[in-house]
Amino acid sequence: MSIIDDILNETDVDKIRRETEENYRNHVHPFALRMLKNAGLDIIEGKRDGAFVYDISGEKYIDCVTGAGIFNAGRHNRDIADGLKKAMDVYDMGGWISIIRERALLAKKLAEITPGNLKYSLFCCGGGEAVEVAIKLARAHTDRTDIVCMENSYHGVTGFALPATGRDVYKTPFEPLTPGYRHVEFNNIGAVKDAVTEQTAAVLVEPVQGEGGIVPADDDFLAGLRAVCDEQGAVLIFDEIQTGLGRTGKMFCAEHSGVTPDIMVLAKSLSGGMYPLSCAVFTEDISDFLMAHPFTIINSFGGTSLACLAALATIEYIEKNNLPAKAEALGRHFMGGLAGLKQAYPELIRDVRGKGLMLGMEFFDESIGPRMAYQLKQNGVISIYTFNNPNIIRIMPTLVITKDEVDLVLNAFDLSLREIHAQEERMTHKNIQPDKD
Amino acid sequence: MSQHDPETIKQQALSDFKRYVNPQKARVLKNAGLDIIEGKREGAAVWDITGKKYIDCITSAGSFNVGRRNPEVVNALKTALDDYDIGGFLMCSRQKAELAKKLAEITPGDLQYVMYGCGGGEANDFAIKLARGFTMNSDIISTVKAYHGHTGFSLAAIGRDEYKKPFYPMVPGFAHVPFNDLDAAKAAVTDKTAAIMIEPVQGEGGIYPASDDYMKGLRDLCDENDILLIFDEIQTGFGRTGKMFCCEHSGVVPDIMTVAKSLSGALYPISATIYREELNDFVMTHAFTHLSTFGGSDLGCIVGLAVIDYLTKNKVPDHAAKMGERFQQGFDEFLKKYPELLLEVRRKGLMMGLQYTNDSIGPRMSFQLAERGVMAIYTGNEPSVMRLMPVLEIQPDQVDAVLSALDGSMAEIMNQGGIEAY
Amino acid sequence: MATSEEIMEAIDDFKEQCNGNKRLRRMQRDWTKIIHYKAIDTGDIFTSNVKEGEVLSNEAGAAGTPDVVIECDSETMCDMFWGDINPTQKYLRGEIKVKGSQEDVMRIDAITAIIWPDV
Repeated sequence: MSIIDDILNETDVDKIRRETEENYRNHVHPFALRMLKNAGLDIIEGKRDGAFVYDISGEKYIDCVTGAGIFNAGRHNRDIADGLKKAMDVYDMGGWISIIRERALLAKKLAEITPGNLKYSLFCCGGGEAVEVAIKLARAHTDRTDIVCMENSYHGVTGFALPATGRDVYKTPFEPLTPGYRHVEFNNIGAVKDAVTEQTAAVLVEPVQGEGGIVPADDDFLAGLRAVCDEQGAVLIFDEIQTGLGRTGKMFCAEHSGVTPDIMVLAKSLSGGMYPLSCAVFTEDISDFLMAHPFTIINSFGGTSLACLAALATIEYIEKNNLPAKAEALGRHFMGGLAGLKQAYPELIRDVRGKGLMLGMEFFDESIGPRMAYQLKQNGVISIYTFNNPNIIRIMPTLVITKDEVDLVLNAFDLSLREIHAQEERMTHKNIQPDKD
Repeated sequence: MSQHDPETIKQQALSDFKRYVNPQKARVLKNAGLDIIEGKREGAAVWDITGKKYIDCITSAGSFNVGRRNPEVVNALKTALDDYDIGGFLMCSRQKAELAKKLAEITPGDLQYVMYGCGGGEANDFAIKLARGFTMNSDIISTVKAYHGHTGFSLAAIGRDEYKKPFYPMVPGFAHVPFNDLDAAKAAVTDKTAAIMIEPVQGEGGIYPASDDYMKGLRDLCDENDILLIFDEIQTGFGRTGKMFCCEHSGVVPDIMTVAKSLSGALYPISATIYREELNDFVMTHAFTHLSTFGGSDLGCIVGLAVIDYLTKNKVPDHAAKMGERFQQGFDEFLKKYPELLLEVRRKGLMMGLQYTNDSIGPRMSFQLAERGVMAIYTGNEPSVMRLMPVLEIQPDQVDAVLSALDGSMAEIMNQGGIEAY
Repeated sequence: MATSEEIMEAIDDFKEQCNGNKRLRRMQRDWTKIIHYKAIDTGDIFTSNVKEGEVLSNEAGAAGTPDVVIECDSETMCDMFWGDINPTQKYLRGEIKVKGSQEDVMRIDAITAIIWPDV
């Protein structure tokens, strides 16, 4: 019996929990475990299926975190899992340096389904890595250095992506960082125009800011970015890591505005929640850099045979099951419910917004985000706040969620808000000098 | 899969690759006779889809230590695919906990905590961030011809401009000193130094093993100056050099160690930054400032556990050491037989480098070897060195087949001429 | 209900615990904050001045512009400074109010985790 057999066959739930927590405390991230326990989010994932995830104890939850967009095709999508299993009868990762057929097939498919003249793909394994590729290609293509990016953005935590991330807390302990990045206010085209110069290699934006608090870019803003980049010869990069693959109601968020970037970055749901894969998709013009420097950007794990097969199966699944359209329709239904909750709890909820099934509920009080996460879990829903902005609870279920399951989530929100409201009342009651916030 | 015959599939794949991925790469590989489209793959060998067999001595620079499509690891992943997906990356998971415990066990000394990533560069980026954060100093001493990955911090640590120039400016604060030169390292230390970072064997740099004295000297230097010592064991780890980790040879234990490549079992991307308990204090006060969506995935961790299980159960590092010695006997012969071609051979376990007398011989050798059923290429930071890194369980007859192919290739190149040293 | 004196005693003891813990001091050397603690049932306010991980002073009354404001009833406040409760859990259940960044919330929890690892 190998260690794998031991792990996969162990059924004593208490033992699993005890050992897992001890090992996690001693060898992984004891403080994260403490925070998760504080928040009641110390779930150890067992079974996972469609819109649901189960704790090993059997408790069932609707997953509205989905790793911020990894599981568009559902938790443990069986089609993709079975496809991968079959593939493993023939394939392994493949020698990175070789010409991998599956990589070429995926790149071709991405050229087909991405908007405009996006044509070439360079594959990595992590999302931040692909953002780095986009930034590097922009610098190399333009022979310029500056990157204009957005306040409150999130693009990753490795060396070229980190300075683009628009929040100091991720950056300060690790300075000095790569120079050349300027942050401007999101959705403010005037600010972008002021910031873009002949030294600007690229403008980098998420079409919906995810960690920033589920803030969609205005169509005008995106069109404005396209115009500024065209005028100044800068590269327009869309980070569609969270918004891609159907999340916002179209295959790619860029399709809503009709604005096509020069480079589009994808990850998360690209390989169906089964396998690490990310990529930068770019125009033929930009690919000229690779002509002259074919082996300058390399990695061992980017676009492996298995990754590409998983992605091809995922895209097929998304297309066959019309997931973008479903996200659009269910998103509208969801928004209707959220708008109703805003009316019911006007003193708690400042705004509800989103695109497709990328939704957020903004509270007046920053502490409510974390407190809601706790309540929602008690009511069978896993949801957490957006990292850059704890005022907002993110709602990003899988795209295979059904209408009934959406209603369950709305109900959980209702119950949770009721409890938060009661907590506020209790605190006010105790307070001899209530704050006028 | 297509109904067409293999030749047609191959041509279509090459064409698609050129149109949608990287046309120049396809061209370069074709010139080198390495335009192989991998079909069947097993153990030490891989077949082109048209049926030609090769012994793989590239193995993605050490990613396939357990062999291509190792049946046990394949089985573990297949079984896991019945129930698991990537998992919740923010959550505490059993898989993360078990693999971390295992890594703590098998790594030397008091390396105890694990931060997961999915790529090697990512693991090195975190090592550098951790060093900066923990010491509250900014400067990193790296080495000339070092290779650490392409994500920003790792890229700055790379010791070769070609990978960096097109993308300037880099992360500031990195110095590069000659490898295996303790005095140079000492001279570079300032009161702003956070860490010294090396590969125990420079891989892309041309297969240069660090001397035991150098490593011990660095350890002392770091201890005296409150600097952290980082060992990048991404290529050298998991049995490659004849021990589970290369630093075991010297007995020197780093403060931070990075691994990736072979932890994947040739199947599934996963990487890890392993560090001492004291350093976790920084992670504690800066929780969630470093995240990795795909790092420490349920499936990845299960594969990692299967890999470690396989390597330890079957004493694979010992086998690697033995086969390395078998190779060495052949190399010693070549050094005598082809002095105009072969300058030097450097080796630790099955991490082997043949240094030719000039840069052009490497590509020509790749071409000749491919004709004779062996896949091999030069190291990224040192083109005059051909790297040989077969799977660790390569069998004696396969070792002999590679040696025979080398012999034939060198003889052919001697015949062709044009090998004068620059 | 806890009196102002009782709370000051507790908060001063907490200061000793923080300042005397070498590991904590090292971990906290990048943390400089002014914290206000408000007992909402009695109206008492207390100010803690932290510089690079050292609690420089505690005083009764509101001084300076706070980076973090923590509000709860006086009993809970006493319990918190004596280490009898897990303040983050209370915060997430709406019994302690914190105005400040989530990073500061987590950092304060890290402090309590070091001093009272079992709470």
